[in-house]
Amino acid sequence: MKLRSWFLLPTWVWMAALFTAPFAIVLGYSFLTRGILGGIEAPWTIESYQRLFDPLYLTVLLRSFAMALTSTALCLVFAFPAALFISRAVRYKNLYLQLVMLPFWTSFLVRTYAWIFLLRDTGLINTALQATGLIHSPLPLLYNNGAVLLGLVYGYLPFMVLPIYATLERLDPALVEAAADLGARPITTVFHVIVPLSKPGIVAGSILVFIPCLGAYLTPDLLGGGRTVLVGNLVQNQFTSARDWPFGSAVSILLMALVTVLLWALLRCESEPLA
Amino acid sequence: MNRRVFFMSMAGLAGCTRDTRPRLNVYNWSTYVAPGTVPGFEAEFGVRVRYATYESNEEMLAKVLTGNSGWDVVFPTHNRIEPMHAYGLLAPLQHEWLPGLANLDARFRAPVWDAALEWGVPYMWNGTGIVYNRSLQPPPTRWDDLWDPRLKGRMTMLDDPEDMLGACLKKLGLPFSSTDPSDLLRAEREAVVQKPLLRAYLNAEVRDQLVSGDVLAAQLWSTTAQQAIDAASNLAFAYPAEGFPLYCDCAVVLRESRRARLAHQFVDYLLRPKVSAAIVESTKTATANGAARDLLPAAVRDNPALYPPPDVFARGEWPHTLPPAAQRLRDRIWTEIKSA
Amino acid sequence: MKRWLAAYAVAFYAFLHLPLLTLAVFSFNSSRFTVWEHFSLEWYRAIFRDPQIVEGTWNSIIIAVWATALSTVIGTLCAYGLWKRGSRTLTGALYLSLVTPEIVTGVSLLALFQWTFRWFHWQLGLYTVILAHVAFSISFVVIVVSARLRTVSPALEEAAMDLGANEWQAFFYVTLPALLPGILAAALLALTVSFDDYVITSMVAGVDSETLPMVIYAMARRGASPVINAISALITLVFGVLILISERVRAT
Repeated sequence: MKLRSWFLLPTWVWMAALFTAPFAIVLGYSFLTRGILGGIEAPWTIESYQRLFDPLYLTVLLRSFAMALTSTALCLVFAFPAALFISRAVRYKNLYLQLVMLPFWTSFLVRTYAWIFLLRDTGLINTALQATGLIHSPLPLLYNNGAVLLGLVYGYLPFMVLPIYATLERLDPALVEAAADLGARPITTVFHVIVPLSKPGIVAGSILVFIPCLGAYLTPDLLGGGRTVLVGNLVQNQFTSARDWPFGSAVSILLMALVTVLLWALLRCESEPLA
Repeated sequence: MNRRVFFMSMAGLAGCTRDTRPRLNVYNWSTYVAPGTVPGFEAEFGVRVRYATYESNEEMLAKVLTGNSGWDVVFPTHNRIEPMHAYGLLAPLQHEWLPGLANLDARFRAPVWDAALEWGVPYMWNGTGIVYNRSLQPPPTRWDDLWDPRLKGRMTMLDDPEDMLGACLKKLGLPFSSTDPSDLLRAEREAVVQKPLLRAYLNAEVRDQLVSGDVLAAQLWSTTAQQAIDAASNLAFAYPAEGFPLYCDCAVVLRESRRARLAHQFVDYLLRPKVSAAIVESTKTATANGAARDLLPAAVRDNPALYPPPDVFARGEWPHTLPPAAQRLRDRIWTEIKSA
Repeated sequence: MKRWLAAYAVAFYAFLHLPLLTLAVFSFNSSRFTVWEHFSLEWYRAIFRDPQIVEGTWNSIIIAVWATALSTVIGTLCAYGLWKRGSRTLTGALYLSLVTPEIVTGVSLLALFQWTFRWFHWQLGLYTVILAHVAFSISFVVIVVSARLRTVSPALEEAAMDLGANEWQAFFYVTLPALLPGILAAALLALTVSFDDYVITSMVAGVDSETLPMVIYAMARRGASPVINAISALITLVFGVLILISERVRAT
């Protein structure tokens, strides 16, 4: 028994200092009043929460959930075959893995700007398509929801690839062989044997993608042209140009509460992947 | 590997602290000094300057609001000075340490936001207007023209609530800093009408697209517009006839600074005509320093985007600090416009 | 099936690296704007002339290495501990820290540091950034390592203990080796997240602790400068070479 407790000790300390305390601060902020310059001021109030229950903000939340769900689903579809490929590679496994991470050591903002350059009316893709005569006038590839989805999926692919790979790598090849012996085509094996067995990785990856997508603000701003407001933009705005920290804190607390409930429901059905 | 890095970083840190020259920490907007400005100050006064940059007032304020940020001199936009003073963040300016104040342009010696120049020294200023492609005939020189369906999909507005709503307000002939809810709601309706015509809400990123011709007209700040014009001669800039905002970034000394004298010396250094002129030639911004402006070549001094003639300048407004209730309404309106 | 997977992998990696390649190509463009003028190494020279970039890179590396090391160790221990004996509170806290939007984490950590510093007269610096990075990286590590742990059978440890090993030996010699790929994957993730982080870092960085993302962001938000392209190309090159070298070392 003792070893396990020791193992958890550093995390407890860390969580207490660097999570609970800040969380308590944000919670406190959400009950205070805004200062003119930003920051917070004395009178305690529940005004921020009252403002929250307004169809405008609830629509923003809904839209964000929809966007995050779509991104996660797309990420899963694209990442799974790649993770499968890497786990089955005989040589160079680590190389492939690191090649997945390589683009992500350059700045996120820079990669997003690269996408803008590619998707613009006079960008590479449109120019290439026009040059080959496939289209005659530029396609509006940028500043819409499609571009935002592309940006989000691109940005979070490795978060999906790594956990799925970690699970697939441990998969017993004998199970796959057994399926083949029983007459299953490879594609059937994938859907009926491999995918169910890699559920822990899928769930982990989905969580790691869904949650940041929910809070994303830079990608929707840049690739979406600032045309829509997602919950990430809303929170970001409150802490910057709107200078309303209490409201921003309240939105964050609501967001965190909703996601916690969601996760709790998910984990109950999943028989608790983490503990 | 970790131990090595640890010791190297320790050595690095130790190396830093061995520099015994006095230190000054300056936090400024990006590209607001010339390459030689800070080294020149360091050499002349025998000090070391830690110079870092930020992209928005809020970024700077988030650090400075705590009262323990470590910065000595920062450069807020003029309408943040009054609240900063109310929060006790600013040290009063000692005019006897700032003989260079005499170099300021007449318009900035007693500005509306700080008539006695108690808290901030005007540094650089700019205005918001319309940058457009010359191929557009007639050229869009009024805010009204940005609601023209012929520009559909080829124009952008700033992704900044103050500027964007301000343009709608000016289009309706209302004050830029209006706090009247009915005014703001009318402005919101204009914005919602305009939204389908817009390509996007973009800030400095639109420069690239103006140069390449993707975008034909954009609401943009004068200094950024000038950068685009420098890169593509088929662009031009106009200050709208209905009125437009003017912003002035001012140098302030923070109350938390323990090097007030040195901070004042730095601000005074920036007020020297030669130094200021060198900065402007490098950054292509508009300086509040009249003596420096006289030293500039005519092409820069009379640049209509950076230094509009007096009759155009007179149409400009200096935005006020907004009270919290108005700020909240504007923010809500901004969210509604974006969600539309 | 193997061929389809291989073909898909090629397309996948092409998609991942397309923006990078574009950046690299245009880093040699002499024009500031994305209209090709002529070949030039000007932007590469600009990198080395700019002390901000050099210092930012150095800071980023120090922070990333420290943060990865600390969060991987703490996170692995945590994942293992949770696997043996679950803790609802800890799991909940870990998930919550993941859910918090970055700006909120940044602001709250800044507030925490400021309140603490009132008593100790300290200031923000590299160490506050490292602490902040560890704070948000732990959850990532725990999730990835836990996913791996689910595929490890507890029977293995029990068997080891039956054969006379104590708890620590069972962990170190039986479970840990099985976990290694998961730990490496988690460490890689933590390294990337730390190196690339902007929002939280910019909030808690001190006067002397500017990181590379902060430098790049500042440059990019003024309008994309080819210096950024050059930096990205260089980073890719350096890391690419490092990866190849580590492959060679592994192969021998």
